Amino acid sequence: MDVAQALQELTELSAQVERAVVLDAEGSVVGSTVADERATERLATVARDLTTAAGELHAGGDEVTRVEVELRDGAVFVLREGGRTIAAVTSPEPTAGLVAYDLRTCLHAIDDTPKPRRRRAGQEPKEEADE
Amino acid sequence: MRRLLRLVLLAALTVWAWRFLAARRATHERVGVSYADGSSLVLEPGSTGFERLAAVARGALSP
Repeated sequence: MDVAQALQELTELSAQVERAVVLDAEGSVVGSTVADERATERLATVARDLTTAAGELHAGGDEVTRVEVELRDGAVFVLREGGRTIAAVTSPEPTAGLVAYDLRTCLHAIDDTPKPRRRRAGQEPKEEADE
Repeated sequence: MRRLLRLVLLAALTVWAWRFLAARRATHERVGVSYADGSSLVLEPGSTGFERLAAVARGALSP
């Protein structure tokens, strides 16, 4: 399943998740449920800043795997697993365990390997054709 | 003896009512962080860490 499909499934599955973004290991956005690019980048920046700030709270300097910030206006969740990060905004007073489970399921659903492109019968692969 | 019992009962009721009202008024704001080594921490409003992370998170909550 690609990132867009996994995010679509997440929003269908979880009524509490309002918007979510997925970042790769370098912190670049690889998928979002928001059409607005500025809103996507803002959530991605918040996710990066939260993990940095949370990391500085720990003396051991271990990698942050999960940050949950529950406020009166809503909550922000950041989960990191397998080199990917997912950040989501939820409605106020979410069921934290359930949201974390849904976000983890979304990350697991994303395939690591890109799907091989279908070639027409008789068509040579590009690399071989260039030689 | 009876007066003392009444006094204790009244004090207990007052404490219960105060705690009940305080719990209702309390906001459920909190920050939870987990790390790769299995450790985790919970920050309550008023702590430096909470205020810092809450300020960052508000950036995503504002419309």
